[in-house]
Amino acid sequence: MSDPFLSIRNLGKSFGSVRAIEDVTLEVPRGEFLTFLGPSGSGKSTTLYAIAGFLSPSQGDVHIDGRSILDLPSHKRNIGMVFQRYTLFMHLSVGENIAFPLRVRRRPAKEIDAKVDEMLALVRLEGYGDRMPAALSGGQQQRVALARALAYDPQILLMDEPLSALDKKLRDEIQFEIKRVHEQTGVTILYVTHDQEEAMRLSDRIALFNNGRIEQVGTGQQLYNEPLTRFSAAFMGNSNFIKTEVMARQGNFAAARFPDGTVVKGVPVHEQAGGGAESVLMVRPENILIETRNEGSGLPATVTNATFLGDCQLITARTSWGEDITVRSVLAPGEMGTAARGEAVRLIWPNAGSYLFL
Amino acid sequence: MLLNYDRMGGLQWVLVFITVLVSLFLILPVVFIIALSFGSSQWLVFPPPGWTLRWYQEFFADPRWMAAFWTSAKIAVLVMIFTTALALITSFALVRGRFRGREILRAAFLTPMILPVVVVAVALYAFFLKIGLNGTMTGFVVAHMVLALPFAIIPISAALAGFDKSTEDAAIVCGASPWEARLRITLPSIRHGLFAAMVFSFLISWDEVIIAIFMASPSLQTMPVRIWSSLRQDLSPVIAAASSLLILLTLVLMLLAALLRKKAN
Amino acid sequence: MSAAQTRRERRQGIGLAIPAMLVLAVFFVMPVVSLLLRSITEPEFGLQNYATLIATSTYAKVFWNTFMVASVVTVITIILGYPVAWMLSVLPGRWAAVVFAVILLSMWTNLLARTYAWMVLLQSTGVINRSLMALGIIDTPLPLINNLTGVTIGMVYIMLPFFILPLQATFRTIDPSTLQAASLCGAGRWQAFRRVLLPLSLTGVLSGGLIVFVMSLGYFVTPALLGGTSNMMLAEMIAQLVQSLLNWGLGGAAAFVLLVMTLALYAMQVRYFGAPGQEKS
Repeated sequence: MSDPFLSIRNLGKSFGSVRAIEDVTLEVPRGEFLTFLGPSGSGKSTTLYAIAGFLSPSQGDVHIDGRSILDLPSHKRNIGMVFQRYTLFMHLSVGENIAFPLRVRRRPAKEIDAKVDEMLALVRLEGYGDRMPAALSGGQQQRVALARALAYDPQILLMDEPLSALDKKLRDEIQFEIKRVHEQTGVTILYVTHDQEEAMRLSDRIALFNNGRIEQVGTGQQLYNEPLTRFSAAFMGNSNFIKTEVMARQGNFAAARFPDGTVVKGVPVHEQAGGGAESVLMVRPENILIETRNEGSGLPATVTNATFLGDCQLITARTSWGEDITVRSVLAPGEMGTAARGEAVRLIWPNAGSYLFL
Repeated sequence: MLLNYDRMGGLQWVLVFITVLVSLFLILPVVFIIALSFGSSQWLVFPPPGWTLRWYQEFFADPRWMAAFWTSAKIAVLVMIFTTALALITSFALVRGRFRGREILRAAFLTPMILPVVVVAVALYAFFLKIGLNGTMTGFVVAHMVLALPFAIIPISAALAGFDKSTEDAAIVCGASPWEARLRITLPSIRHGLFAAMVFSFLISWDEVIIAIFMASPSLQTMPVRIWSSLRQDLSPVIAAASSLLILLTLVLMLLAALLRKKAN
Repeated sequence: MSAAQTRRERRQGIGLAIPAMLVLAVFFVMPVVSLLLRSITEPEFGLQNYATLIATSTYAKVFWNTFMVASVVTVITIILGYPVAWMLSVLPGRWAAVVFAVILLSMWTNLLARTYAWMVLLQSTGVINRSLMALGIIDTPLPLINNLTGVTIGMVYIMLPFFILPLQATFRTIDPSTLQAASLCGAGRWQAFRRVLLPLSLTGVLSGGLIVFVMSLGYFVTPALLGGTSNMMLAEMIAQLVQSLLNWGLGGAAAFVLLVMTLALYAMQVRYFGAPGQEKS
């Protein structure tokens, strides 16, 4: 098997006694759009900055195309970077901003002019070459930053939460631009964000960070439907975590008993090291069905809240031991709701849509 | 009511009166000097009996005044260049550095600003006598540099602190070496701070009296020194002309600095 | 790799400060320290110079003069400057800009030029005396120069901007609604002033007054030119001892006393009012 294009091996960084990242390992094939996703302080930016060269890692190595880049200073790594705060050179025009990396590389003037035009076309800002950055909107400035980062055909493009300074509508627009540029240029992209929807929209794969470590790596689908840990399940989308007691266990499946005696069998199990917390059964709100006939299998509960949201109904149901479970019921056209407040119902879900975290 | 201009009532008139008086008090001597320099009376009679440019002509014709003028200019320019350069690299340390005692160091650099100049002047005088720098250009420039350094550090470090380092990092990622990035990106971005430092250090040297008195020799005198020794002898209106020129230069430079600051905002 | 690298990263950046540190160490700290050392080693080891300063009436008088003038200057500056700072903080924009410009112009005008102006104005045949005589207020010219009166007038002139500018900044931080609240509570104007405005502006007054006092103690040019030789103040005395009389021991001692007073007052300033560190403008 050939070396993956970007290889991050056991990367670690400590600031004094604080471990920012630990044992970060990742293989990224050429041309992939990989997102570092996670809450603030989880280590995603630290990893990115280590790759960019602004931080020296305490342990580990980073290889691009088979060669370690850690012994190269930042300006020799040929990496493109787009920051959160645009960081355009305000005293230079848009064209000069894009030309800067080429001027620094002492490229001939004709080549520079051609490249600037090409980049402006790529981010759809043709004719903006002579404008000053201060005259541009936030979205336009970010596009110039993108053009500048790609002007020298970098091996990798790093993006550190580039859209968090923009409003929602603009964010959607630029997300689309980024995706388009990725498809058009085929550059490998490492993208940092804390917004999981953004991650799912843009990326081929997602690396989920938690407390300085990579919790799980996979496609958006994998992370959503097959979360390996409690944290992954909670971070991606919404989840219910219901207190249970684990009974008979057979390999990767077990039976779980709820505090009111209800038993569910054949639930997939995920071991979580160093839990200390009680076992929970995770099931997503949209996977739960409400059975209004209060009989048969399923978890008995009473509806405490039912909100009509247009395309679905958001229901909160309280179990007999006082735990609240959220259910998201998609409504058929014209249907007003599946349950009403105060109703006694049963909650059913397929085993494939649930997990037991020990 | 007390802090509302329109609703102060009688109090407003009292305050306005005092303010006008004090403002006149502050501005009249300056106007007075400039008027005197054009007055035809040799005995500094005010209002002058006539108007003349004679004192300015005398000033420009006098080789000693001219020598003092050029000496002042030379020293001030040298002080400006060296102080700004030194303040620039020091500001990088004070703003970007992460070392223990950084705040103490910053306070230490500001000390020449708070000590009485006469103490610094006397101390340097003694020191320079010993090492033979007294009455030399080098001694003058160094002495003024010590005094001007805090006034240059303050605007430069303020500008540098206000500059987002990520922009410099972006330049590095784009392929510029750290020093190239600082030269091509950071420096142009803090140029308003640099200009302020240059203007301040120039003016501080140009107007400085006490250290100059100690550092001077018969062949090396700045304008303030000449004015000082002339004042102790007589009050010829040529001094008024010299003073007016000093005032003019300061005014021009301060206006320049203010204009540049407005443009930067 | 960790420990050494962390240490290196922790000391990061200090390198660029070293040239300036060297310059200040060699051309500031060392000379001042050596001057102070001379005060206790010349003509012989001991504190005699300090004893001389206190005991001899001529020198003691200088200290007394300096202290007195600095105090009087501070008080007058506060009295004249307080209303101006107050007005400056409430004046509508255009007028405020004019007053500001006047103050700044006065402050940045060459010190010698300004002092020279007062030398001319305060003469017995100068404008002030002649106008007073013309108005019939006095019969013979007042001695306004070559004495402490002239020095005081000149110093107040120099110090006013240094007091007014920071104080008006303090005034601007006072929320006008505090005074409106006071009047709603029933306070008349005098009471509102005494109980609300004055206490709130007091820190600015004290801090500004302290600055003026400290500066006046060590001031050289204006007292030297406007005062007479029999009314010398501290800075001029130090200069004379060193330059004319070549008495390094005594001059160093006087300089040290001035230094200590300045540092002590500055420390007080920082402790109670926070470090000024303002640039002139």
